[in-house]
Order: sequence, then structure tokens, then C-alpha cells
Amino acid sequence: MLHKFGLAAIAATLIGVGSTAHAADCPIKLGAILPVSGPMGQVGERIAETGLFAVEQFNEAGGVLGCPVEYVLRDTQGQSAVGVDAAKSLVDLDGVQVLIGAVSSGVSLPVLTSVAVPSKVVQMSCCSSSESFTALAEEGKTEGYWFRTYATNRSQSAIGAKLTVDSGFKNTAVIYVNTDFGVGLAKRFEQDIAKLGGSITSMVAYNESQQSYRAEVTKALEGNPDSLYLVAFPVDGATITREWLALGGTDNLIVNNSLRSDDYFQAVGSKFLQNLQGYDSAQPRLPSVDSFNEMFEARFDSPPNGPGLHSVYDAVTVVLLAMEAAGEITGENIRDNIRLVTSPDGVEVYPGPEGIARAKELLAEGKTIRYVGATGALAFDANGDVQAPKMTWRLDGDENVETGYLSTAEVAELIKMLDE
Amino acid sequence: MIGLVSYIVFFLILSLIFGVAVLGLNLQWGFTGLFNAGVAGFTAIGAYTMAILTGPARDAVFGGFELPFVVGLIGAMIASGIGAVIVGLATLKLRHEYLAVATFGIAVTIQLVCLNWEYLTGGTLGLIGIPNPSKAWADGPLAQNALYLLVVVVVVGLTFAALERIVKSPWGRMLKAVREDDVAAASLGKSPERVRLEAFVLGCMIMGLSGALYVSFIGYVSPWDFLPILTFQIWTMLIVGGSANNRGALLGALIVWGVWTMSGFVISRVVPSEIQAQGGAMQAVLIGLILVAMLLIRPRGLIGEELHVSRHARS
Repeated sequence: MLHKFGLAAIAATLIGVGSTAHAADCPIKLGAILPVSGPMGQVGERIAETGLFAVEQFNEAGGVLGCPVEYVLRDTQGQSAVGVDAAKSLVDLDGVQVLIGAVSSGVSLPVLTSVAVPSKVVQMSCCSSSESFTALAEEGKTEGYWFRTYATNRSQSAIGAKLTVDSGFKNTAVIYVNTDFGVGLAKRFEQDIAKLGGSITSMVAYNESQQSYRAEVTKALEGNPDSLYLVAFPVDGATITREWLALGGTDNLIVNNSLRSDDYFQAVGSKFLQNLQGYDSAQPRLPSVDSFNEMFEARFDSPPNGPGLHSVYDAVTVVLLAMEAAGEITGENIRDNIRLVTSPDGVEVYPGPEGIARAKELLAEGKTIRYVGATGALAFDANGDVQAPKMTWRLDGDENVETGYLSTAEVAELIKMLDE
Repeated sequence: MIGLVSYIVFFLILSLIFGVAVLGLNLQWGFTGLFNAGVAGFTAIGAYTMAILTGPARDAVFGGFELPFVVGLIGAMIASGIGAVIVGLATLKLRHEYLAVATFGIAVTIQLVCLNWEYLTGGTLGLIGIPNPSKAWADGPLAQNALYLLVVVVVVGLTFAALERIVKSPWGRMLKAVREDDVAAASLGKSPERVRLEAFVLGCMIMGLSGALYVSFIGYVSPWDFLPILTFQIWTMLIVGGSANNRGALLGALIVWGVWTMSGFVISRVVPSEIQAQGGAMQAVLIGLILVAMLLIRPRGLIGEELHVSRHARS
């Protein structure tokens, strides 16, 4: 029988060296595993560039512990095996203690379970939305090494359910895209709406990029719903909405933030959407967000519009601040310091070289800080998830009008109430 | 140093797991001439069977029997085998490119079933927490991976030895006879249909074994692991290594996966960080170039087919 101790001893003898030491060798490497080619290539490329931008700004402020930070990017090609190998190579061959990424949950999760957690390396994703991460964290299987700056679906379904019930709808049909994002959101919505006193007539999943969704729409029309909750992306969403209205569905629509897009409004026709309501992650009303947007435009000559840009900037900045606070750079230390640099009662610091320099001063004085970044103030919960403020909107003519705003604290309160 | 060893162990695990699937394909294409373009589908069946048999129980999802690893491996082979019997009976009348199109379609169908049949597969969220047996026996990632590598090496060794044995047996010669000329084989009283089905099922079972090894190692399975690119990679490994040669199949797996991953490593080292975001395209070009170059230099693969006569026929 192989004994745990015996095997470890054999392995140690074979290699001849014991544990790895991570003194502050310059430069400090930061690993990024992002899909810069493959189906997510276009999205991933901009995310990768924004990650580099965050590193550059940190280096302008003097780097981490006096060392410049080197950004080592590896492509996942959107494939889990390639992503896992890239992550392992970054950890073993480059000695990184942090992995930024990946984008799709189908890559981030294998990386987390087979590389980050066993190697005790922090993994922070900008964009992975799957609920499986929260489930895994709740079981203690992430050992606290998992974080994401993407505000989870949790708040989206909560605000969607609240909006539906507040609008007086009693019987809601749900049509959702069959991806981890859509499924997670729709399932939570089903639970939330029951809690708030509404009810669901049917839950219908659809697969992307079909010519027609008549079958799905017909199924969703059963049970005579007085409203439709739609989780879709613009092109397919427009097809579904047109067929829904054509087959006599109500125009009381509640749509996910992914449909807050002119492409969608024009494809369906705004005049048919005057009873449509939606919600979105509000950009927090904070100077830190504006200053990030300005810095981004100055660097790239275009505004930071696109998925994951704000959140990857914050992911990189938070882990670098945590490294600075950690002193000795190990995955474990970084993990333990992430909440100290985003502490609710810390001194507020902002993005950009000046803000980072100020943060480093405060850390050197031994103070706790609160990084308020491109996505606002981040507060990681026990599972490594964050929440974002939310707003609700509707269409008035062609205009997109804001109808309500919930701060991060109000969102957190709503979720707490729903989870009890 | 320790990092390099640790990475090599990890690399060998993944490439040998691919190697198992390449051995399965080699039996079908290399020895029998069956153009199976549905490798990803049969790997998926094995992978999900492993996850269902050995994984933890979950609300609203079938399975979670927490059975031992070996039971999972055997179960995965049986399930892939059953899938292959059904697919084989329906499609093996087709030849060459027609069979390729049919099996490709079946693989896509299997992937969509994995995506949509939530009760069985967890749908798009996949199945998490699949146990890796080495974690119970060893401490620390390197020792665990070294142990898992040992498991994979044993499985590869057994598969390789079994395949070597059977392709040199009379049944193996029958495969080649069917591959070369099935009318001639039939005129000798052999049944090409039956031989094709047997080779197809056996090959698919080995692919299922590969999928099972993969999910136990990674601890997670999702439909996104079985996109058509996987079929393409396995095929490339076989063609580069040399079809109709089991050693070539394993060598191809090591080399192609090595090219695939090392190209990313090289690009991250060589290309300055400002333009690394474009490095993905360069990596794809590099992979393509190396593969094309290898095929130009060694058109029959790195190790091609060896000629055999029956060992009883030797004077």
C-alpha cells in the first residue's frame, strides 16, 4: 500500500529539493490565461490588453515591493485542455502565484480544480459567470483561492424578480439561453420570484443561433402568462421577441441586461417595446469609474465598451495590491490579503498611478485600504464573489430611460432577504 | 527545477490521455480503414459515465454513485461500447467520407445531448467535484500528479500491449484484409461488416477510456470539453505519428500536444508583452506550420506501418 508520507518522501528525494521559496525576485510575474484566439478571441484580446494596461499603471507607480511586474499572457484558445496546460506551465515554469482568467467558465473551472487549488495559487477571473464556482466554494473545494470581479448572476435574477413583482405581474413565462450563464440566471429567477410572491408558468431553454424559435415560444405561451422574462442576446433575442409578439404573447417584457442594446430594439422595432423593462449593472456613480474611463480612452483612443474590461482592470489591480500588502509573495499570502485591500472600513484609494502610489504609502504605514476601482468598491464575499449596484430602465420612444437605482448595499440586502 | 519536473509530469499525463484516444482511433482508421470523425462524441460518453459513476451526489442530477475509480473506467468503456454498437449498426454500411460525415454528425449530437440533458449531465454547468484517486493516496500536487501519471502509464501500457497482441493475431490480419480489399476478404469467407463493427466498437471503448481518465484528472466535466476541435486534434496526432502503428500513435500524441503547448510557451517568452494579445494568432500559425512541415518531411507519419506476416508463416 502506498503511504501518503512515503510517497511524498519519494517525490522529494527524486527531485532533491524541498519547497519552493518565493522571495521578491524581480521582475514579479503575473500570469494571465485568456482566450486571445478561438471563438472568444475578439473579446479576449481586448480583455488581455486591458489587463496589460492595469499592469503598466501599477509599474508607473513603482511596481510591487519595488519590483516591476511582468505580465505573462497565455492563450487558452477557448479549450479547457489548452487552458489547463497554459496555467500549469505558468505556475511551474514561470513561478507565478496568481492567475488572471479565464473568460469562459468551461475553462476557468478545470484550471481552478486541477491547477490553482492544488498548487495553492490565487485565481481571479474577470468574466466567468457560472454558479458552479459558488457551489464549489461553498463546499470548501476552492480553499479560498478563487475570486471573480464579475458581479454574479445572483444579483441579476434578484433584481429581475423584484422588477417583475413590483410591476404587478403574477404569471411569468421564462425563456432563457441554454448556456451556464442563462441556466444559472433562470433557475435563480425561478426561486426568487416564488419568494417574492410571483409565479412561473413555464421555463423554456433555447439553443443559440437558430433560424426560428417558434417551438420554444409556443411552449412558453402555454398557461397564459401575463409577462415574459427573457434572458437572451440581441440577435436571437430579437427573433424570439418578434415570434412571441406575432403569436399573441403579451408585450409586458422583462429583459436581462444582455438585451439592453440598440441592435435589439431596432431589430424588433422600438414601438413594439414600449412596455419593455430591464435592469443592468449600473456603473456606480463614483469618480473612480469616470477616472478609469478617461485613462482608458487616453490609452486606447476608444471608450471601454465591451465585456470584461472594467472587471479585468480591477482583477489585476486588486491582486497586485494584495501582493504589495502580503510582503512575501505566495499564493496563500495573496489570498489572505485580498480582503485587506478591499476592506469596507479601509481608507479609500482609486485607480491610476497616483491612486496606486497612495495605496502603497498607506500599506507601508500599516493601514488597511479599500480599493474603489473601475467597477466601484469591490467587496468579496466568503465565496470570492462580488456584487454590483443595479439600475432599472425602460424604453420611452427610442430613448432608454432609467427608472430606478439600487446601490451595492441595497442589492446585498435584497439578496440576503431572498436567500433566507 | 522542481517546477520543470512538475510540469513535465503534468504534460505527460495530458498527452498520454490523448494518446489513449489516438490508440483507439488507430485501431479504427490505421488498421481497419474506418473514417471515424466522431472521436469527441465517444470520449464524451466515457467522460460523463465516469463522472456519473464516481462523482458525488447532486440535487436534481442523476448519478453520484461514488463508486471506485476502476469501476468508473470499466463503466466508461462499457457505455462507450454500447454507444458504438448503436452508432456502428446504423452507419457502418457507409464508407469513407460518408462514414466521416455521419460520425461527425453523431459527435455533434452527443455534445448537444450533454448540453441539454440536464438531469443526466448537469447541462451547461457540467458536473463538478469528480474525485481524483491520487488525492487520497498522496500529498501535494507533484506527488499526486506523479501517482496519477503512474495510473495513466499503466492504463496506456495495458491498452498498448493488448492492441499489439490483437493486431498481430489472425483477427488483426483480418482487419487489414478488410481495410485493403473487403471483397477479397469476403471471398475468403470473412464477414467485413462484422469485422468493421468489432473494430469500431473496440476503438470507441478505448476512446471512452481516454475520456474517463481525463475527467478524473481534471475533476470536472462540461460539454465544452468535447467540441469538434478535439476530434481534429486526435486525428492530427494519429496522422503525424503514423497510422497503423501503435507506437506511432503514442508518439504522435506526445509530439502534437507538445507542439500545441510549447508554441504558447515560446510565444509568451519571445513576443514582447505589448503585442502578446495578438500572440494567439501567431500561435495558431506556428502550430499549423510545424504540422504541415512534419507531414511534408514524413508523409506517412513519423513511424509508419510495419509490414507483418503471420509469425506462424516464418520459415
